[in-house]
Amino acid sequence: MRKNILIAGGAIAALLLARNIWVILTQLPDEKFQGAIFRIIFFHVPAAFTCFLCFLASLIAGLAYLKSKKLNYDAFGVSVVEVGLAFGAVNLLTGMIWARIIWGIWWTWDWRLTSMLICWLLYAGYLVLRRAIDEPTERARMSAVMSVLNFSVVPFVFFSIKWFRTQHPQPVLFGEGKMDSGYRAMLYGNWVPILIVAAILIAVRYVQEKQQREIDALRREAHMI
Amino acid sequence: MQFLRQTLTVTAKDLRSELRTKEAVNASLSFALVILILFSFAFDPTSETTREIAGGLLWLVFAFAGVLILNRSFARELANDCLETLVSSPVPGSALFVGKSLANYALLIAIEVVCLPVFGVFYNVTWWSRPWELAMVLALTTWGLTVVGTLFSALTVNLRLREVMLPMLVYPALIPCLMAAMQLTTTLVAGEPIAGDQWAWVRLLAGFDIIFTSLAVLLIDAVLIG
Amino acid sequence: MNDAIQRNFTYLAYGLITAWAILIVYALTLAARGRSLTRQLENVKRMLEDQSKK
Repeated sequence: MRKNILIAGGAIAALLLARNIWVILTQLPDEKFQGAIFRIIFFHVPAAFTCFLCFLASLIAGLAYLKSKKLNYDAFGVSVVEVGLAFGAVNLLTGMIWARIIWGIWWTWDWRLTSMLICWLLYAGYLVLRRAIDEPTERARMSAVMSVLNFSVVPFVFFSIKWFRTQHPQPVLFGEGKMDSGYRAMLYGNWVPILIVAAILIAVRYVQEKQQREIDALRREAHMI
Repeated sequence: MQFLRQTLTVTAKDLRSELRTKEAVNASLSFALVILILFSFAFDPTSETTREIAGGLLWLVFAFAGVLILNRSFARELANDCLETLVSSPVPGSALFVGKSLANYALLIAIEVVCLPVFGVFYNVTWWSRPWELAMVLALTTWGLTVVGTLFSALTVNLRLREVMLPMLVYPALIPCLMAAMQLTTTLVAGEPIAGDQWAWVRLLAGFDIIFTSLAVLLIDAVLIG
Repeated sequence: MNDAIQRNFTYLAYGLITAWAILIVYALTLAARGRSLTRQLENVKRMLEDQSKK
């Protein structure tokens, strides 16, 4: 049943993406100053949104684990962090490619890219921490604490680096820049299939984490007999 | 009142044990001096650019040297099951944490105070022109470093590669704090007062300190006891 | 001018390919992990069966 839901979700996402890509490449007019490369924004920005949504989910999972001590929350936590890191990487790499065309250099220490890089490193540290702890309960506890700490640092990172540097094109969603309504609709519109893809990946990873626990339990049983 | 007494007892214990052997302090100080010397090869130490990067340089040195002390903080308790004993004693986790943080704070401030004149001599920088504001920046930032570093030290104490894991985990979390300190210190070392909008950095430091101290005190029981 | 536009589109293509390549690589690692988990599960189940037969 669950597998069918995932496959159905995947099909919907694929259809939406196909339609979006067709619209992106053929229907929408070129952006005035940046040309064709601007269309990368339809994957660059939703990837960032998804990444932060995943990190927020990891905070909630961490707090839920600390409260209830149910290992399912820990399994969910690691799944969302991994998927969040994948989408963060998408954001960083598409940002670098965009920067290469627009500003001529691969990396510009602009505040959004830098903040995202630091957040990526923070959560990569979460995965490294998990690797270093073998015992599942202790691992879940330390991971939960770290996800709370990491998410608390995220706003500090963003605001401090923003004050430090500004080189990004003017914010078009929440700022002075005005975005054509067709573009804005597509930006939010493309977020839907990307979220569906994220949800599918998280679900698969979550099931795998639970399977791993089941295998460890069976292994312990086998060794005890 | 009892909390205060317990905290100060832990602080006194840590400081006494450190000052008897002085291993972490010596290692940290030597490391700081070596880094200061190494940096002199990275750029021309006598030119004007030193003034521009003075703040950054200083705080990199303090961050690198400080992690050595922070690592030692909980690692010291591993031998002879001291950590288990402390955790099972009537001292609450928060008192243990605050006590150790205060001890680390004292040691870090000591190292910073020793490094500043050395820095002034090596790089020909007058760092004492705005002493009170510099002291404020040192006090706020070092507390931020200490609180986050001590918490991560507790997190990583039982891990295999503790000495490598602690720096790797702690530095990204310290970036906002260090960045604010670098900005302010560069200004102060150049002799300028903290201008209007630079007070935002001071507010950032204060906010960072308050939020992470509260978080650490709330989370330390989960880390130590479970 | 045409050259710049061409380059623009090429980089757009690189960007889109990179974005999806990362996600596909992640999905592939998940698939590999899934296969390894199924294999481990079978091994353990076989181990348990052998022990219960003895």
